[in-house]
Amino acid sequence: MSESYRGMWSALGLDLTAHDALLSVLGKAYQDIFLAQKSRPEAMGYFDFVMSEVHGLRIKELLDEKAAGRKIIGSYCVFVPEEIALAANATLVGLCSGADFATEEVEKLLPRNTCALIKSSFGFKLGKVCPYLESADLIVGENTCDGKKKAYETLGTLVDKLHVMDLPQVKTAQGRDLLKSEYIRFKTAVEELTGVAVTAQSLKQAIETVNAKRRAILRLFALRKADPAPISGLDALLANQVFFYDNPARFTESVNKICDELEQRIEARQGAFPQGAPRVLISGCPQAVPNWKLPFIVETSGAVIVGEESCVGERGTRNLTDEGGETVEEMLEAIVDRYFKVDCAIFTPNPERLAHIKEMAAAYRADGVIHYGLQFCQPYLMESMPVEKALEESGIPCLRIETDYSMEDAGQLKTRIEAFIETLK
Amino acid sequence: MKERQKTMTPLMNDGYDGEPAKRVLSYMQAQKEQGRPIVGIYCGYAPIELIQAMGIVPAVLRAFSKVPIASAETVLPANICPLIKSSYGFILEGTCPFFAMSRAVIGETTCDGKKKMFELAAKVKPLHVMDLPQLADEPEARANWTAMIRKLQRFLEATFDCKASDQEIETAIQGTNRKNRLMRKCFDYAAMHPPLINWQEMYDLGFLALAATADHMTPILVAVLERLENRLSQGLYFSRADAPRVLVTGCPVGGDALKVFRIIESCGGIVVAPDACTGMKAFTGEIEEDTGDPIQALARRYLDIPCACMTPNGKRLSALSELIERFKPDAVVDFVLTACHAYNVESYKIGRHINDHHGLPYLKIESDYSDHDEGQIRTKIDALFEIAKN
Amino acid sequence: MPYAGIDIGSRTIELVVVDEKGEILQNLQADTGFDPMQEARQMVDGTAYDGIMATGYGRNLFELSFEAPTVTEIKAHARGALHFFPEARAVLDIGGQDSKAIALFDNGRVKKFEMNDRCAAGTGKFLEIMARSLGYDIEAFGREALLTEKDVNISSMCTVFAESEVTSLIAKGQDRREIARGLHASVIRRAVGMINRVSAAGEIVFTGGVAKNPCMQTMLRDKLGRPVLVPPDPQLVGALGAALLAAERKAEA
Repeated sequence: MSESYRGMWSALGLDLTAHDALLSVLGKAYQDIFLAQKSRPEAMGYFDFVMSEVHGLRIKELLDEKAAGRKIIGSYCVFVPEEIALAANATLVGLCSGADFATEEVEKLLPRNTCALIKSSFGFKLGKVCPYLESADLIVGENTCDGKKKAYETLGTLVDKLHVMDLPQVKTAQGRDLLKSEYIRFKTAVEELTGVAVTAQSLKQAIETVNAKRRAILRLFALRKADPAPISGLDALLANQVFFYDNPARFTESVNKICDELEQRIEARQGAFPQGAPRVLISGCPQAVPNWKLPFIVETSGAVIVGEESCVGERGTRNLTDEGGETVEEMLEAIVDRYFKVDCAIFTPNPERLAHIKEMAAAYRADGVIHYGLQFCQPYLMESMPVEKALEESGIPCLRIETDYSMEDAGQLKTRIEAFIETLK
Repeated sequence: MKERQKTMTPLMNDGYDGEPAKRVLSYMQAQKEQGRPIVGIYCGYAPIELIQAMGIVPAVLRAFSKVPIASAETVLPANICPLIKSSYGFILEGTCPFFAMSRAVIGETTCDGKKKMFELAAKVKPLHVMDLPQLADEPEARANWTAMIRKLQRFLEATFDCKASDQEIETAIQGTNRKNRLMRKCFDYAAMHPPLINWQEMYDLGFLALAATADHMTPILVAVLERLENRLSQGLYFSRADAPRVLVTGCPVGGDALKVFRIIESCGGIVVAPDACTGMKAFTGEIEEDTGDPIQALARRYLDIPCACMTPNGKRLSALSELIERFKPDAVVDFVLTACHAYNVESYKIGRHINDHHGLPYLKIESDYSDHDEGQIRTKIDALFEIAKN
Repeated sequence: MPYAGIDIGSRTIELVVVDEKGEILQNLQADTGFDPMQEARQMVDGTAYDGIMATGYGRNLFELSFEAPTVTEIKAHARGALHFFPEARAVLDIGGQDSKAIALFDNGRVKKFEMNDRCAAGTGKFLEIMARSLGYDIEAFGREALLTEKDVNISSMCTVFAESEVTSLIAKGQDRREIARGLHASVIRRAVGMINRVSAAGEIVFTGGVAKNPCMQTMLRDKLGRPVLVPPDPQLVGALGAALLAAERKAEA
């Protein structure tokens, strides 16, 4: 990224030295992990560009939008409804929480045995290295898991404006009512922030924009059913991650371009991996930017990842918002219905998730499932054993992984993953 | 100041002193013999008054022994709190007599671990999960929790084939208020300098009082209060006047977790305020009477419980301040069960409040049901007492 | 035609050579030392084979230096164990620094596995350190533990803390043999948990250096109530498996 951004970063209050170090590590990691891959679709060049400018051009775009009157809202979870933000003239960006940073500082505020994703979000704030965090006019926290719920009590003291969204824990009518009232409260908060009211027209447009993004990524998912897999899991994960913070229309267009190329590859029987390579479905905790650890290990061990049953993945994008509503009320109901379907492990019970994992394993012709749980993530780790058992009973091999962001256990993970892949061959 | 007499009369003096589980088991068996059905509960949020009004006996299910944990770890991840593993282990092994006696179980969506464990336990016995709001201070929370208690009522009606009128629930509410007033009078003796009642006795009382009716508890508590007055007049204290007074807050403490109380005592301290759902927390506060809507009154009272599963749980800070006012501890110990994220993350806030607002030394102890860290806990408590003395 | 398998662990390297029929022609063992590849080279240079497969912690290094195929120690141990006991359906391997439990399908393929490779508890290292703290050499440790029926419960999970626990038990005058038995019981608990999670029934092949320990063998049999079969040389099972897989691979090619 060019020197011209330094002024911008400085104005945002970033710690330039720490930020430089972060960018350099990220740059090297990207090279070693993504650029070292063979047989990548050419259209992935768009994402290479996006990542090279992730703290540069995209931030500049957002700041320019701000100057023109838009507001930036940062969020940590797929339950925050992008449609409502867009309809009120705000841009929603997903905040990175995929790498360890400023751990010593974080552990003064959070217990050491807190999941890496939560600690990372604190680390980026305390380390002053995330321009998205610093340029956001509002940050949204959400009461998903215990760790996040309690951590937001402290995050609220570190950021200017934190809006905590409560979420239901049970999928009942009462739970849906809670989600609806929280979405209305969020809508009010965003309207107050931007000074722009949500109208039927703006909401309709917003639904169409987000649905278009979803359709594009779902089209990408469908193309991964082919053998040989036309795109690697690493590249698909990257697209899933960028979904959260790229300009929606541009993202949609770029993903559709990639899909066009993948269709050609499939015609030509061209793959990112050889035909017959063992196919793996990843299921579990979200993999936030720049967490690329698991797919890197899996795909350098000879298997290809053909799907992600995860919020940064199909679980988060599977459903479209119904476009039939005409009034704001009708569209809000459609939005609530859409998000209420997300089968995150914080819900009890959560049988739809198991059904979806099995569906995806069949649809993507996966030879096996790797269940990915972050250490200390109780909801997903507690679901991992019943999921593994159910998959094995259905004849689908499953490997449970529990890990964090450090590279300490890379060797051990590689052994387990290689051993698992050996059983799939 | 007089030393404790070796011939001090046991407080409850019913042959079960120091063995609260046996006492409660005998109570439950008596209830069963009288034909009353039993429902298992796990948590302070279960509305006892509704259950009792329906003629059902609530039984607190076992969750405090390390013995069944190994069984639980064949199905649950090892890295979750021992209370959850123990509870589930008892269910798997079939060794909890209260679970065996219960026709059904009531659970709540308090923490992630319990939520997910209930999904598995529900396969063994009918388990009704109450959807507990997480933002207790919001106006919607009361309406939601009221609806949940009504839902529980319908579940109990269907499962146990019994009903309770609003009047009967009101009667139970008034009973609880009477019972709790008497319990608080007993706790007054812990507020004295030095205290006249110790943690084991408060634990024994609380264990029974939580689930037993006011009618059952009243004569017991009246007799206990008499004995406590006797101790006062005879100057029979539980510790030296200079023993460090300790308020223990945090996660529920029972069974194998009682080690924290034992260690505090063996280091020369005295527990004057066991603040947890297994301690005084259950008996503070009054349920509003004669409101015309007893279920809503219940909802309001239960939402006041300052559990760390609530956010932002400001009530815990004010509750602690009240306890400090009343019991005048020299130090505060925050007992956090291993892997309890809610209490663990909250402990930072609690520590700052205790240090900055009350100028008292504060110690967080993170532990489980095993006994291998006794030496380390002892060292920390000794150090805490050294700070308290200065 | 001879085929070789090399198991490069963090403490020892095993090399096994088999013929096409799977008969063991040769086996060598050496300490890994500070330069595993140099050690491996010395072992391999003096040995004749048509193909070699590497397994263990250092397999990827070997792959780079020698251009040899690799296989994980899971698959290698499974294959090696079946060579000695074709009816086995589970393998428990307790090595110097890690332990693993493997369940097998009827056709011998790996079905499920679990590994403990993050901490010394439940491994040979634990037993070594404890033996030393009781003043036994590793061979005597197991024998002595068997000479008593009682054991003292060791509650510490962590090797470091367990060692302190042992020291204080000795100071309290506890019987050395009972402490020794209690320490073995501690490792058995972990092993049994692991095996039961992957395999519910059937014969278990016990491999790794710790399988030579008579107290471990006895206690495992008692605790599991299943046949526990120990190969003649439990430490070379990984390398043997790799050698057999090298032969089978060549046969398929």
